[in-house]
Amino acid sequence: MCVNLLSSALRSLSLLGSRTGPSQIVNRSVGPAVDGRGSLTVWRDFITSASQQQNRTQWKQREKYTIRPIGMKKTGGRDYTGKVITHGIGGGHKQRYRMIDFQRLRYEPGKEDQPIVEKVVEVRYDPCRSADIALVAGGSRKRWIIATENMESGDVIKTSGTIGRIAVLANEGDSHPLGALPVGTLVNNLELYPGKGAQYIRAAGTCGVLLRKVNGTAIVQLPSKHQIQVLETCVVTVGRVSNVDHNKRIIGKAGRNRWLGIRPSSGLWKRKGGWAGRKIRPLPPMKSFINLPSVAAKS
Amino acid sequence: MFNATVQSIRIWTPKITQTCKSKDCLNALNISAHGYRCLSTSSCLHGKVVPRKKPRVVHEIAGLEPITYADRMHYVPGLAKPTFPEWDRGWKEPRHYKSPKLEDMPLHKDKPCYIFNQMTNVLEGVRQALWLSKSILIKGLPAQILNLALDPANQIENQDDRVQNAIKNSRLWDTTEHRPPRERFCPSLVHNLLHLCDSLHVTHPELAKRILADKYSLAATWRRGEIVFQVRGQNGLLLNSMSPVPVAAGDELIQSTADQALETFYPISPTIDLQCTHVYQEKNDTGFRADYPFCHAHTLFLMEMGNAPKLYPEQLRAKMLMFAFGNALARAQALYGKEPRILEKPIVVQSVATNGRLFQFVVFQLNTTDLQSDSGVKNLAWVEEDQPLYEFAKVRPLIKKKVVQVPAGLSGYEPNTFKKFLALYLHGTA
Repeated sequence: MCVNLLSSALRSLSLLGSRTGPSQIVNRSVGPAVDGRGSLTVWRDFITSASQQQNRTQWKQREKYTIRPIGMKKTGGRDYTGKVITHGIGGGHKQRYRMIDFQRLRYEPGKEDQPIVEKVVEVRYDPCRSADIALVAGGSRKRWIIATENMESGDVIKTSGTIGRIAVLANEGDSHPLGALPVGTLVNNLELYPGKGAQYIRAAGTCGVLLRKVNGTAIVQLPSKHQIQVLETCVVTVGRVSNVDHNKRIIGKAGRNRWLGIRPSSGLWKRKGGWAGRKIRPLPPMKSFINLPSVAAKS
Repeated sequence: MFNATVQSIRIWTPKITQTCKSKDCLNALNISAHGYRCLSTSSCLHGKVVPRKKPRVVHEIAGLEPITYADRMHYVPGLAKPTFPEWDRGWKEPRHYKSPKLEDMPLHKDKPCYIFNQMTNVLEGVRQALWLSKSILIKGLPAQILNLALDPANQIENQDDRVQNAIKNSRLWDTTEHRPPRERFCPSLVHNLLHLCDSLHVTHPELAKRILADKYSLAATWRRGEIVFQVRGQNGLLLNSMSPVPVAAGDELIQSTADQALETFYPISPTIDLQCTHVYQEKNDTGFRADYPFCHAHTLFLMEMGNAPKLYPEQLRAKMLMFAFGNALARAQALYGKEPRILEKPIVVQSVATNGRLFQFVVFQLNTTDLQSDSGVKNLAWVEEDQPLYEFAKVRPLIKKKVVQVPAGLSGYEPNTFKKFLALYLHGTA
């Protein structure tokens, strides 16, 4: 039956004659050409390898920034092969992704020399993270940022990239480079490399502490008590992240975990190995994110 | 840039069905409407449009000429892909038209223009509209309109009953379902009320010299400082009249506005939420021809039905203000030309906006077209906010725990709101 189908299908096709010239080489890749008799001309090359892209990541390929929430596709812990990579993820309430601008020090095109002053329009819940997010408007643009602890609508927040000789009196919600802040301030939304965008200390209620400033670099203690060394031009926000009582919430029932997209763990009893139990050990050495020229390059 | 090739493939696909006479052939061939190759036969990918991957970027190195297989007339592995010059058809084919880039368009300008159109939802609301139109806000309607509202000679007979009937007609009697959609009852209510107001043409013969116009396009351009602003597009229902609306403020009030300062809202710029474009045309058009007999814009009726975009009352009032200002400015520039000047006869445009229950009234008086500077004589805007016409109009009563909270039918009718509506309608007839 399949052979009949294939033969009847191919009967309607006609192979390309010798009428193709150089002018049609470019057009061939676009699609099939219809010649005068109205019959189909077949593609020459067949690709036999499947696409390696995950076909469910189209929703996050948007380059232009928008404050409008974007519909998300859940992966269920699976990757492009379709296998479960992370267990315990799946289901849950539908969520829409709001594009958060983690690079606080982002100037509007054309206004690079003016200070960035913004007003908080609203602070709201974000289903994609534990912290609350704030819609801030400044100049002619609006963007979402991670809200700090006492941020309310109507507040005016400042972002600056300059490091003065004297430390700045930091207000909560403002954003300055590490070199401009006094030692001992609570900071959040820490950048590892200047201009890359905040990658650390973004969860609800977290804050890091600025420990020392050492010739051009600053040492920050993360919420896990690890210490890292970054360049002092990295921009951070002052204060604790919003939604401070997040870790005190009680889930209450299994259903609430399912609403959050957390599937139950495997019920099979497994003997715990060396990884389990409380460990008391010294802190790992301080990690440094400063790309100093190597000794070999200097010599 | 719309490429019409996909459309031609869609037209071509049924031709195969005729020759094959079997839909299975289509599936066997794995031809899809979009024309991209997809050899998978799984059902989840059937009919799916996977967007085309971007082609490999070929960098041109100056001085090096790539050796291509163009001369050989066939693909040769190892040689570069030839690039041919862009083929120009020579004549305009509407199905295969690629629009030029923004920079190449004839109306492209270096200076951007900020346009207020019917899809705009300004963040700062009325404050932003006041800055853009260089106006001062006065709460409440002008005294002469309030006098018109209270004058018993201007009432329709059985006014309250007839208005309540109009509300019930649009809210209750128009549907067999639980409630009619807002897109239906809002325009229906406005048209019923207008019809009711028009029944006074027996006693006020000047009402015959008015006409309603819908779906007209407005264009008005002005500068504030160095920035170019425009109001463009369709606004709503416009009531035109043959005679202009009388001036609502005396000369002393106009001159006193020169001392008041415009409210700014740093750090937000007044251009926020406006459409910024470099391709524009500085047009001033009232929407009607020059010889149109009903040339004076009287009242603009805006209906907020909660779709594209949903406007809160503050933003709705801003939209009313901007369009009233746009109408007035277009009229001023049609009468007096483009030169910025202080008008001896200020132009007044009224506006009524509703979402079916709450009414917002705006009376805008254009005193000056000199909008470049922030100082000097300013325009005036009287705004009456959030006037409910009724509280509830329910088809079925709201019952909570066997107690009727809100009865069925119309409840909480406010007669004053319709009096103001009627006063705005009759303003101009002496």
